[in-house]
Amino acid sequence: MLDLAPNNKRGLVLHSPIMVGSGGAGNGDCWPSGLTPDMFAAVVTHPVTLRPRRGSEPPRLAELPAGFLLNTGDHNPGFRRLLDQHRTQWRRLGVPLIISLAEGAPGDRAWMAERLEEEPVVAGIELPVREDVNLGELSAAIAAVRRVTTLPLLVKLPSTRAAHLAKACVVAGADALVIGGPPPAVYPASGQALLEGVLGGPIALPFTLRALEKVAALALDAALIASGGIQRRQDVALCLNMGATAVQVRSLLWTDPAAARALAQWGQDPIE
Amino acid sequence: MIQTKAHVVKRESERGHVILTLKAAALAMRLGPGQPILVRPGPGLDPYLPRTFHPLSIQDDLLSIRIPPDADRGHAWLRARSVGETLDCLGPVGRGFRIAAQARRLLCLGEGEWAWTLLSLVEKAVAQGVAVTLAVEATSATRAIPAQRLPLAVEYRLATVDGSRGRRGRISTLLPELLSWADAVAAAGTMAFYQTLAAAIEEQRLLLRHGYAQALYPSTFFCGVGACQTCARDVAGGRRRVCLRGPVFDLADIV
Ligand code: FES
Repeated sequence: MLDLAPNNKRGLVLHSPIMVGSGGAGNGDCWPSGLTPDMFAAVVTHPVTLRPRRGSEPPRLAELPAGFLLNTGDHNPGFRRLLDQHRTQWRRLGVPLIISLAEGAPGDRAWMAERLEEEPVVAGIELPVREDVNLGELSAAIAAVRRVTTLPLLVKLPSTRAAHLAKACVVAGADALVIGGPPPAVYPASGQALLEGVLGGPIALPFTLRALEKVAALALDAALIASGGIQRRQDVALCLNMGATAVQVRSLLWTDPAAARALAQWGQDPIE
Repeated sequence: MIQTKAHVVKRESERGHVILTLKAAALAMRLGPGQPILVRPGPGLDPYLPRTFHPLSIQDDLLSIRIPPDADRGHAWLRARSVGETLDCLGPVGRGFRIAAQARRLLCLGEGEWAWTLLSLVEKAVAQGVAVTLAVEATSATRAIPAQRLPLAVEYRLATVDGSRGRRGRISTLLPELLSWADAVAAAGTMAFYQTLAAAIEEQRLLLRHGYAQALYPSTFFCGVGACQTCARDVAGGRRRVCLRGPVFDLADIV
């Protein structure tokens, strides 16, 4: 058993290091062929905002060599509706559920975090951080959430700035750091106009590894979770050897559910 | 949806396109007309995104896909597969065409390459004893579905933009006559094509009612299960994931 939040009274205990990253299984309701929640250590939802968001206009996807660019614009039904629609099904998940709270108006995330205290089905909160965030603003936002919730707090840092931001997040109350949100980029979407989005798929792994190496070197008092581009057993092994306690997988669930299932059996194989 | 290995049992070339017949019993059993499958376009992680195909035919444990002669690297890899190799497939995606129990005269309308996606519906409807007219708009005769690909019982109407076969011009000129015959419509084309069709139906029947015409939403898919949110479009009164609510919709819900 692993604990992502050993300093938090509630803790966040995982039965394996393989988590479903933000939106990999939708909001815990979209499971590709042959995959079930109990195969994974925890499930992170899509980022949700206080009010519904229609998200980006199409196209939202562009293929890149060894990956893709994705821009959903945080399309989500809004906080209340998300909880109302999914609460019952979440009770049956059987693994820790982590709600990702997207940035919205000032104070929105703290307001939502406070409501989540009353949701027994929620095991933790993930806060995705945008790439151009200001350090002081980020510390204040995390501290505001920390003040209103006892839930384990995971802060998902942009991989390009993770080392710069990591310490301030821990000081402000993060229990764990997710390393990291892949960098934004621009690429043509199937012969159309340029799409701006974040990298996904294998191409994201080198960014994750670089950020992980730098943050691990800081030896902060917080668990590290690698996220971005993790596809194969050797990717998981590399991340764990570099100091990650767990990893998040996402697009592998969509492109090759059988490979995701094999990865989720990590630790049940004597080789590890 | 299931993930399965499909065995290539036949490979044909047709004007640059490659048609692969795949043996995949579990997939073929679940698949219906209008439901796409997702195929991995290589043995490794590049290209990474699955390619979307609407099978041309679905019979017993076999299905066939048609791969276009374009510059896409994934399509190039798939075109190079030979008999005996296997493909990694996921499917079926979403909801396909339904043939209403009371349908007696089904008009299948296809625009350009999208017309090919109607072939499995045509086959199924004929097998159920429904009278079928397939009307296709193609840029030229060489781009149209060859008549020998169709069951004998099907009436085939063709409009070619260059006039090389069938009626010269757009299919819209055929619509008044065809719509007055049909008691159900299934269409595959672009959104502009669906607007034209909807307008023709309103002209003919005064109202575009739910239950008369179905249309295949022109989209490709990434996850096919609602997780990635890349297929969200404004349909059926809201922004919805096409892979879950469609890809076949009532025409009234998408125009
Ligand atoms: S293809 Fe992923 S949500 Fe529709």
